[in-house]
Amino acid sequence: MNWFTLSLAGWRQRPLRTGVTAAGVGLAVAAWFSLLSFQAGYRDGMKNELDRLGAHILVVPKGCPYDAASIALHGASWPCYLPAAYLDEVRAAPGVTTAAPAFMTALHEGTSTNTVYVGVDENFLRLRPAWQIRGRFPQATNELLLGAEAARRRHWQVGQTVPLPGLTNATGLVSGILGPTHGAEDDFIYLRLADAQHLFAHPRQLTHILVRLADPNALDRAVTHLRGCYAGMDMNIVPLAHLFHTIQSLVNSTRLLLGCVAAVALLVAAAGVGNTILMAVAERTREIGVMRALGASRADIFRLFWWETMQVCLAGGTGGLAFAFLASRLLENWLRARLPFAPVDALIRWEWWAAAAGLAGAALVGSIAGFLPAWRAARLSPVLAMRSTGGDA
Amino acid sequence: MTTSPQENTSVIAAQALTKIYQRGREEVRALDAVSFTVARGEFTAITGPSGAGKSTLLNLLGCMDAPTSGTLRLDDREVHGLDERARTELRRSTVGFVFQHFGLLPTLTVEENVVLPALFARRSSARRAEMLLEKVGLLHRRTHRPHELSGGEMQRVAIARALINEPRLLLADEPTGNLDSATGYSIITLFQQLNAEGLTVLVVTHNAVMTAAARRQLALRDGRLADGK
Ligand SMILES: Nc1ncnc2c1ncn2[C@@H]1O[C@H](COP(=O)(O)OP(=O)(O)OP(=O)(O)O)[C@@H](O)[C@H]1O
Ligand SMILES: [Mg+2]
Repeated sequence: MNWFTLSLAGWRQRPLRTGVTAAGVGLAVAAWFSLLSFQAGYRDGMKNELDRLGAHILVVPKGCPYDAASIALHGASWPCYLPAAYLDEVRAAPGVTTAAPAFMTALHEGTSTNTVYVGVDENFLRLRPAWQIRGRFPQATNELLLGAEAARRRHWQVGQTVPLPGLTNATGLVSGILGPTHGAEDDFIYLRLADAQHLFAHPRQLTHILVRLADPNALDRAVTHLRGCYAGMDMNIVPLAHLFHTIQSLVNSTRLLLGCVAAVALLVAAAGVGNTILMAVAERTREIGVMRALGASRADIFRLFWWETMQVCLAGGTGGLAFAFLASRLLENWLRARLPFAPVDALIRWEWWAAAAGLAGAALVGSIAGFLPAWRAARLSPVLAMRSTGGDA
Repeated sequence: MTTSPQENTSVIAAQALTKIYQRGREEVRALDAVSFTVARGEFTAITGPSGAGKSTLLNLLGCMDAPTSGTLRLDDREVHGLDERARTELRRSTVGFVFQHFGLLPTLTVEENVVLPALFARRSSARRAEMLLEKVGLLHRRTHRPHELSGGEMQRVAIARALINEPRLLLADEPTGNLDSATGYSIITLFQQLNAEGLTVLVVTHNAVMTAAARRQLALRDGRLADGK
């Protein structure tokens, strides 16, 4: 036997109460961990996605919803369109090296799956230097470039003539298949811009324009120019770097609020633990007297109860981390449905530093909550403790 | 301090030992100038009516509390005037306690209960625990928990526990008070056996058989020793 098993024995005496207390700590730690890892996951995920867009500015039709960037990234049908003629004005803006026009739409295939079609031209390739194409980029009418996942799922090969999903009586020739990019575009089907405009009956219209600048620091100048030009009346100019910061600050303020809630949860858990151990001290007064008679010093008694509190908190904290890990999927889906801009990457990832911070929080709760009861137990006079009727020792 | 040859071999030497409790404004003289010595190897019974100060005396002898006045030497070391910490040290190394209510920790096994004082004293104890459990006839119960034992068995475990740190002095406060007479008798026999092996035993008791078994009796009444030396 050692000090560890002795303090374990303390809470074996009242497993249910200890369990409930530990669960409180666990929940607080789970909230704490989720918050920390979510924040990191969301920031990194969003940054990756915007990098993946390969553009500095996104030009979308006026009146589009605020989440146009999310639509461009994740693929969906657009409710409004841009005249293709605006492209020239965009290209004329200072600092613009590439302006890639795109026509995107999503078709329902069966009941649930969406097929996303994106019409692009060669300009688009300049935004995707990392693309690896087996076969070639569509050059003739009806040629298709498939995302890795889109091809894999349907078992389509280069050179195959295939029915276009979601459309009747339309076929295309697979001219190329993309290597995996681990983004939403793995599911996309690319085709020539003109084909897309024709196929979906929006001739000379675009859904968005992706703009790349020679110097990303010249963003403000280009944006001001674009907003001021004639076509600017009908276009929404979205500077993506600013978008990142805007969304980030939105999330940060929510995080502050959630952080306060998590901190309060931690404090409540601390109070719960403190209370439970105080009760234990009261109930075990006689036992404490006996231990003193058997040679335990004040420091021994203090350590015993302090340790016991720490054990409850660390056990609760570990349980809370396990719970957070298991529940992260659920929480992730729940969050995804409510975020203005949810990256495809996992939002809540297992972060070792966040787990360590969670456990450190639990230990902090334990050491603070354990102090008062342990101190009180240590200060009991052994003679009075022996006379007490508390406990059955 | 006078050190007569007799005091050199005494385990307990109390001189005008007084303990006054404060109960509100009232002073309770629980012990009033009690003087006596106990030599090594003695078996002493302390008797007296309820409230006579028996437990108070035992607590002072066991270094659980400090006297209001008077002097106390245990195993030739001065106890009066020692602080909390030093009393704890002395208690660990010198005294073994046995209680009326056994005082076993309910969540620990028999063996864990026995080694508990060794843990507090930072001593290794596994072999000695086994030996002591053997001696009190409960080795086969070592992994049991106290609630699985009878009262007599619990008290035997408590006695084994009191002996784990090889104390000079065994103090017991009504050790048969919660036992029927037959079981109590077996505990008395155990005390006699331990005493025969050289242990100094001091028992507070109401039990006539125990009192008779002890080779010396001290009677307390209203905090004073009625007779004896
Ligand atoms: N902590 C205390 N505060 C005030 N009075 C006390 C305290 N402890 C003991 N007393 C009083 O001191 C006197 C002696 O008490 P003690 O417990 O020593 O008696 P006892 O001889 O052991 O009695 P019993 O046979 O009932 O156990 C009693 O009057 C008791 O009320
Ligand atoms: Mg008493």
